[in-house]
Amino acid sequence: MISKSVNTRKDNAESSSSEVKMQTISLTAWFGAKQALKDINVSFKTNAVTAIIGPSGCGKSTLIRCLNRMHELVPGSRFSGQVLLDGEDIYAPDVDPVIIRRRVGMVFQKPNPFPTMSIYDNVAAGLRLTGAKRGTSLDETVKRSLEQATLWDEVKDDLKKPGTSISGGQQQRLCIARAIALQPEVILMDEPCSALDPIATAKIEELIVSLKTDYTVVIVTHNMQQAARVSDFTAFLYLGQLVEYGDTEMVFENPKNELTEKYITGKFG
Amino acid sequence: MHRLLDVGLEQLTVMVYKMGEVADNAIDMSLRGFMNGKDATEAVRELSDILGTMAVEVENKAFELIVKYQPVASDLRIINSYMKIAYDFERYGRYAWDISYTQKKLAKIVKCPPHSDLMLKLVEKVSEMVSKSVEAVKQHDAELAKTLADTEKEVDELYFAYLDQLSKTRAQDKRVMCNLLVSRYLERIADHTTYVGEAVVYIATGEKISLR
Repeated sequence: MISKSVNTRKDNAESSSSEVKMQTISLTAWFGAKQALKDINVSFKTNAVTAIIGPSGCGKSTLIRCLNRMHELVPGSRFSGQVLLDGEDIYAPDVDPVIIRRRVGMVFQKPNPFPTMSIYDNVAAGLRLTGAKRGTSLDETVKRSLEQATLWDEVKDDLKKPGTSISGGQQQRLCIARAIALQPEVILMDEPCSALDPIATAKIEELIVSLKTDYTVVIVTHNMQQAARVSDFTAFLYLGQLVEYGDTEMVFENPKNELTEKYITGKFG
Repeated sequence: MHRLLDVGLEQLTVMVYKMGEVADNAIDMSLRGFMNGKDATEAVRELSDILGTMAVEVENKAFELIVKYQPVASDLRIINSYMKIAYDFERYGRYAWDISYTQKKLAKIVKCPPHSDLMLKLVEKVSEMVSKSVEAVKQHDAELAKTLADTEKEVDELYFAYLDQLSKTRAQDKRVMCNLLVSRYLERIADHTTYVGEAVVYIATGEKISLR
């Protein structure tokens, strides 16, 4: 029988050439007696966007909160396992969590600019906390951050206006600019478009794709099409377990696991 | 769990299965006419036109489902493959028409026989492949689809052997030209059955393979 495979797509998830920026090893997390994550082993490739998908309560947000040590801020929470950033365990005893949160920034579901601060001050806030003072250097960082967040042209004449005076989509990009200002290596995004309209969503999606040039991005999303559009790799979580991880095109075209197939096609009963 | 997409997928499936039956019928009618010296042009033309219309309908339905539901995974593979299969079924119809029309124009519906054994085998094999490809689509049967590869190879061998035979004949009349063209159409139909087979394998397994 003659039947030659003509698959031309390479599964990047299995390619060893891509450098791993972050990695979890047997990561398990609890909230009190409730186990939120079970033995998660997953890698996040450098300068790539990884989407984490799964039904509500599957542990998506908990997973990314473990990646910058925010999980431990919740009373009653605990975890086991390892999270490596450039091969170093971010939970090692001598590691300062504040430094980790600076290296691994976070953007949340709802835009949350500091309500009493101007647009400028919102972007500069994190830097000031680390000792930066107003001046040319800070001005340049604010400008660069707003440019990278594709917001500069829209707010450059209104930098002194309150951060909450701009639209929801602009506020979310302001929050991204605030995260970028600290020059993180990884940006975590927890459903960053769920509160935005389609046009603002499209802008954030474009931004996410452009950000991977300089950063490693991990995004939690409930929107399957968004995961398919913006990510290079997709991880599917279900009941706290990693069911499937792979090249996004492969996951959405020909998932290996039946659970993934059922979830992404909406066949979950 | 019944999804809104399922209603559309069922409609699309019915359309493609119906196309398969019409295409199989068109080829059968055309080859019977060719083998028995009967004029089948009118009936085959009608079926070929129906297949052309149905192919457009399948394409429209497929686009509608993509636009409305942004399907992924097996849903997307089915829709994408049905569009390809609909095109191939349309081509079955077109080649069926070509056979009947060529027979009418060149051979004046005269029975060309005695057909050589090679032509008889060619007709038999291609008919079998068409029916098998339609059945593979209906069953989403990847294993059945893969068997088309072997038969296609046999058809190729028969086709070139037949060309060799024709090249040695002294007759220069239009009936020889008719047989030459019909053998070519048969060889092309066989190719299209393998494309259908490849689409079936893709639906069933997600694997992209070549059956030729």
